[in-house]
Amino acid sequence: MLRLLLLAIPLLADTTISQPRHLDEVVVVSNRQGGKRSVKGQVASIDEHLSQLSHVSLVRRGSYAWEPMVNNMPTERVSTTIDGMKIFYACTDKMDPVTSYVESGNLQSISFNSGLNGNPQATGNIGGALDLRLRKAGFDADPFHLSSMAGYEFNGHLQVYGADAAWSSHRFYVNGGVFYRHADSYKTGSGDVLPFSQFHKLNAFTNLGYRLTNRDILEGVLIVDHAGDVGYPALAMDVKRADAFITSLAYRHTWTESLFDSWETKIYYNHIIHEMDDTHRPDVLIHMDMPGRSTTAGFYSLLSGVAGQHGFQLNADGFYNRLFADMTMYPDGAAPMYMVTWPDVRTLNTGVAVSDDITLPHRQSVHVSAKLAWQQQTLRDKEGYEALKVFFPGMFDHYHQFTGRIAANYNWYPDHWRLSVGMGWGSRAPTVTEAYGYYLNNTFDLYDYIGNPRLSNESAVEANATIRWLPVGDFSLTADASIFFFSDYIIGVSEPRLSAMTIGAEGVKVYANLNRATIANVSLTSWWRISRRFDFEGSLGWALGRDDEGDALPLIAPFNYSARIGYTYKALQLQAELKGNACQSNYAAKYGEMLTSAWAVCNFSAQYSYARFALRGGVENVFNRLYATYADWNDIPQKGRNLYFNLSYEL
Amino acid sequence: MKKVIYSILVTVFFITVTSCNSNDDGVQKGIDIPGITIDGDADCCSAEEAIQIYDFLQTVKIVPELTTEIDGRYRVSVYTRTGSLHTGYNDLYFVATKLTTGNYIKEFTVSNFKPLMYMTKMKMQHSTPISGIVKSFNSNFTAVKQGWISLLMPTSDAGYWTLAYDANVLGQKGGVTPTEVKVDGLPVGQEWLKSFKIDGNTYYLSLVNPADWITGSNEIQAYVSVKSQTGTDPYELATEQFVIDIDPRMPDMGHHTSPDNAALTLQTDGSYRGKINLTMTGLWRIHLTIKDVKGNIVAGGDNLKDGFSSLYWDVTL
Repeated sequence: MLRLLLLAIPLLADTTISQPRHLDEVVVVSNRQGGKRSVKGQVASIDEHLSQLSHVSLVRRGSYAWEPMVNNMPTERVSTTIDGMKIFYACTDKMDPVTSYVESGNLQSISFNSGLNGNPQATGNIGGALDLRLRKAGFDADPFHLSSMAGYEFNGHLQVYGADAAWSSHRFYVNGGVFYRHADSYKTGSGDVLPFSQFHKLNAFTNLGYRLTNRDILEGVLIVDHAGDVGYPALAMDVKRADAFITSLAYRHTWTESLFDSWETKIYYNHIIHEMDDTHRPDVLIHMDMPGRSTTAGFYSLLSGVAGQHGFQLNADGFYNRLFADMTMYPDGAAPMYMVTWPDVRTLNTGVAVSDDITLPHRQSVHVSAKLAWQQQTLRDKEGYEALKVFFPGMFDHYHQFTGRIAANYNWYPDHWRLSVGMGWGSRAPTVTEAYGYYLNNTFDLYDYIGNPRLSNESAVEANATIRWLPVGDFSLTADASIFFFSDYIIGVSEPRLSAMTIGAEGVKVYANLNRATIANVSLTSWWRISRRFDFEGSLGWALGRDDEGDALPLIAPFNYSARIGYTYKALQLQAELKGNACQSNYAAKYGEMLTSAWAVCNFSAQYSYARFALRGGVENVFNRLYATYADWNDIPQKGRNLYFNLSYEL
Repeated sequence: MKKVIYSILVTVFFITVTSCNSNDDGVQKGIDIPGITIDGDADCCSAEEAIQIYDFLQTVKIVPELTTEIDGRYRVSVYTRTGSLHTGYNDLYFVATKLTTGNYIKEFTVSNFKPLMYMTKMKMQHSTPISGIVKSFNSNFTAVKQGWISLLMPTSDAGYWTLAYDANVLGQKGGVTPTEVKVDGLPVGQEWLKSFKIDGNTYYLSLVNPADWITGSNEIQAYVSVKSQTGTDPYELATEQFVIDIDPRMPDMGHHTSPDNAALTLQTDGSYRGKINLTMTGLWRIHLTIKDVKGNIVAGGDNLKDGFSSLYWDVTL
């Protein structure tokens, strides 16, 4: 059975399901057919799964917790939810994007909406919205299912072990599992070990479902995640622990013969504890304690239905989030120095969203979505508030913002073509760091950043288009472009009148609104089934980012290319891949970015399945190249040659 | 008949109910302050004033060595924030009470405040800066007189301090003869009293209560006193007018500074006030440049090898 499923994957690589242009998805769980997936299977880390999505690039500060950038925009412009639940990172230095608080064992798939057409619970998404979909056994599935996996990678001695079990009946289901991941520091292409690139992570989760009546379901989720001794070679500090507690309870009612399909109401709570640690670093001038806390409680209520040609969704959501972080410095022989870096900001946000999929004749469809949200923020920490007031006399300790977005997409699928055109407008409120952050050191440009409570909302107009040509079933060519015109683009701007705090810093930057900025992304992808056994996929990408003075914005991908050849024979699959970037000559010198050289790497992977087992193995960076990408913070090098294999077993 | 009995019962009921209460037995009605009898004495505070002063005195502590009795009828007490004195600026509060009632007397004066330090080894004496006058705290507390003393150095093997003052309470004169008081040193990281010389005159800069500062914007207050001609007379406020420029730095943080600080300028009450912004807790070194009214630098402002003035106050928050 598994053999057939795996065989089906290459055939479905160009999904026959008409995915609207703005949607993308990577499948994490192994027992689902179709879709994009990582060559390492479910054992791959969250970040490796994310890298399969188009439009997503990952900023690496270490071996763990990479920050997903979407359409060349950082997490401030991306909404990340876990099954619709809002969750916020707790580290002022962005060491813990929220994707790091789940494990691949928790997920069914990662769904991505590009641009302003986000999932209904997404707020403040300009670049896009990621929704990490949790894996639930579901009702009426296999009465009992067990899966376990183990993996090993030679570079860095990465070990992964996971096991999960599921029980399912008509009235009840429960599934749960444990995952453990451990890695030592890895070797780069030069053969040297990159110090402080180790980590370990333990994750446990459970999902429960109970059918109250044939039309009413109650579902609950609990995830507990612990990461410890995590090294960040790109930064001056590591992480002692990053712990998350995520839980939710949802009630869903379904209809059969009605205007409505389902109505789901979910309440949720999550709490994150994050503690930085510099005690392992040799050249620490002043030891610092930097803990951070993030707590979110919220709800959403989603009503969906079909009325004639319209497939609509109505969503109301709200959340209350608390973010607190401070810093205590211990200079030799003098009194400790204390400051509050996130002044206990309480954010209360409520919003309503509506979306509609309209099916039109002659294979046309239109997707429209809109959201309106109101937000109130209070600064509860008096010491942090008084400290910020030194820089912004006359500021208040409470603010409110209105944000919204509206987008529309038109699709036309005549024979051999898929055409998509979309437009949208959206705004976002500044993040807590951008508005109220206090002396946060940025190792990218060596500046201390101070938030600006007087920032205006950032807004953008988006235009996108996709053209896919499928002359025959074995070949397709896709061109995809999107452009974002920003107003009040938020970025840190140097303030020479202020004195830096971090020893060795270049100066201080204060977040400001730039009048205009532009980000554009273009990609060209081709897929060709060469023969019954061989298939080929290639892509080219190019991006542009400009600020109001026409200078380059930081962290914009240079020209990039990839080519992949796959071979399938019965239960065996082989793949060879080439990936590369051109030299990033258009780097943002004004924002502290430095030139990144061109690079190219080759990867090889193989997969074999037999009975209930699946064995995967391969070599990454076959030629052991020493390289760093434009998205590697502080130019930390990537892994050198890495031989890996993993085994998974499904019962 | 029934009506009469009924009305008597109602009357008895009401009398019982309204007077059966032990709270008001044997005491006068109104505010009751421990140890103080309010008897309508015109020389003393009313009940409202007395309670305010009583509450204020709970926030400070008495210096027992400096208490004195006058004419067997009055007592003058001296209070400081901690009940003791330390190097640098100290607030002093004077209160006169009647021994019989314990109530606070509204009209009294304190004068001739004389601090003196006996340097045992060097066999000499010197005084220290004091406030010009001892006067009412503010219109709320007319019966509390406030002054200040800024002590040049702590009690040590090198010498000891005595304080004396005269008091006049309702026409009766009295006071305290030179009495030894202990002066504590400040902890490491606190240096609130500095001096500079111009043309042979020594001036003293006393920083007022920096322990009250918070992270954020603060008013910085100081007094400039000049050494008396004799050296043993108390040092009065300097008659010249200066401008005290401040450059607050954190020596442990690469000399990080804060924005928007304002120099201290002379106010009508004789103190110098400015604004100091503190971005975090820890050791702040407030480098000083003293200028005269014309803007010429008269002290400090010399940039040592670390680039900052050698004249500074240290405050650790």
